[in-house]
Amino acid sequence: MSEFAKPEEYGLADLLCSAASREVGDNEIVFAGTGLPMVAIMLAQNTHAPNLKLIFEAGTLDGRPPELPTSVGDARCEMGASRASGLYDAFSIAQRGYVDLGFLGGAEVDQYGNVNTTCIGDYLNPELRLTGSGGNPDINSFARRTVFIMVHEKRRFVENVSYITSPGWRVKKWPGGDIVPRQQLYGSAYRGGPSAVISTAGVFRFDEESGLMYLDTCHPGKTPSEIRDLCQFDLDISRVKGETAVPTREELRIIHEVLDPDEIFIPKVKKG
Amino acid sequence: MSTDKRITLQQAAEIIKDGSSLTFSGFTIWRRPMAIVFELIRQHRKHLHLIEVNGGSHTEFLAGAGCLDIWESCWVGHELYGKYGANISRKVADKQIIVEDYSHAEMMFRFAAAASGAPYAVTQTSLGTDIHNPEYDMLGRAGLRDGKRIAKHKYQFTEDPFFGAGSQVLIPAAKVDIAVLCVQQVGEEGTVRVNGQYYSDPEVARAADITIVMAEEIVPEEYLRRNADQNTIVSFEVNHILECPFGAHPTGMFGRYDVDGAFLKDFYGRTRTQEGFDEFANEWIHGQNHLNYLEKLGFQRMLKLKANSAMNYSPREKKGGK
Repeated sequence: MSEFAKPEEYGLADLLCSAASREVGDNEIVFAGTGLPMVAIMLAQNTHAPNLKLIFEAGTLDGRPPELPTSVGDARCEMGASRASGLYDAFSIAQRGYVDLGFLGGAEVDQYGNVNTTCIGDYLNPELRLTGSGGNPDINSFARRTVFIMVHEKRRFVENVSYITSPGWRVKKWPGGDIVPRQQLYGSAYRGGPSAVISTAGVFRFDEESGLMYLDTCHPGKTPSEIRDLCQFDLDISRVKGETAVPTREELRIIHEVLDPDEIFIPKVKKG
Repeated sequence: MSTDKRITLQQAAEIIKDGSSLTFSGFTIWRRPMAIVFELIRQHRKHLHLIEVNGGSHTEFLAGAGCLDIWESCWVGHELYGKYGANISRKVADKQIIVEDYSHAEMMFRFAAAASGAPYAVTQTSLGTDIHNPEYDMLGRAGLRDGKRIAKHKYQFTEDPFFGAGSQVLIPAAKVDIAVLCVQQVGEEGTVRVNGQYYSDPEVARAADITIVMAEEIVPEEYLRRNADQNTIVSFEVNHILECPFGAHPTGMFGRYDVDGAFLKDFYGRTRTQEGFDEFANEWIHGQNHLNYLEKLGFQRMLKLKANSAMNYSPREKKGGK
């Protein structure tokens, strides 16, 4: 393990990327989304998880791209892959239960890990329509663990999201809409759910019994009470383990010299 | 087969009528039939019902130009070059477009059902989300669920009757009038060879009543039949073909050219308002044809996007549209 970087040597995006990559275990099958998660997974592939299997939602299976793709549909995904096919394969593989881990994002998250990427305000009269679900709920329904990477703002960490795009630990059972534990609804298809939220303030996990979010580690320079004040719900800060581990110099070298030299997703820290 | 399947770009757009339901090949900003999308806008097509596995830049062009009444899908944006679909967003807020939300896997499985002639698919994806909220059945609210082309219900909830695997969702087949594909090669008789990820192209081609294939090149059918195992779509599923080099621009095509990120960034930045969209359309679409459009882009830009044939993408195009 290389030395940890000094505070002036890394930026927030580096910290998130490094923290996200540490969620990946070797030999795991990982579903990649576009952007920072893709860099994080490829960072893991280049460090502690050389045998991870990467799936790109658009249809590249067991991918080992020599160059960072700009999105999952990119021609850069295919080179080195076991198979390039399509979405029917990618989603069937996920529903069949092959996927260990998925990285996702969201505009809003709530105390149970429900995520909204669909609209701001009332769905029937939206203030702002966002991108929509994409594969967020699909990966989140089928993977054993999902990790959400999000910008931390008080307006984004809410008690209950206005629209559940992607299912957390307490979800709605239709047609009635009663709130039920995720396990109950998914029955024998239940494999897991959101295991972490990595925000720009800290790393959060979920209590197995209550399904409620708690603070696991604070990013350097943030205190638990500051982070609790950045949530609209009463965040559990009683289980904090300490500070989020900072990136190592070797991780920074891989991010900036090997994976993303053009700073498409991860800007370099400006010296001086 | 003696029937000639060749048509022109103009004819391709004319096959799509006011009120048609349609779908496209590709994935977000890759292999979208943009030349036909632009021709639809030139021809002022209206009341289209677009049903697609995922949206992208082409969705934004059609929405901005007022061609769409209904959009059934799961996602719209320009990936790295524009973080959401500003035109869809504006038209939804103004209630000019009905959006019916399904999840990405649900859209895929709906097309797979249609492609196999099944009335519906069954899945456990997205259980517990508001995507399944009965209050948010937008086509139902609009009174459009006639049980003919538009299913009687958005969802049906059931339990697994065979293995006791718990709650299941039934999702209706995605029935569409026309699929428009944009691919690398099509043979004279309609055999399609897609290089790279084929996304959801085989399913959408089979699901549609009429399939139009726009290719970078029409090649001798016999050439494709020499290696039938490398072909993606069977000849008789394709009704019409046309050749249109760079027909996917500004979206990208595996092995041929990259996404024109700078173009998409410019489009995204300038079309947040209707006035901005109209100005952009006047500059790039109206009064143009495909050849003028390519001339306007210029050789320098096209050569920069051109893919390296060993790598299948362009090592010259600076990623990120910078």
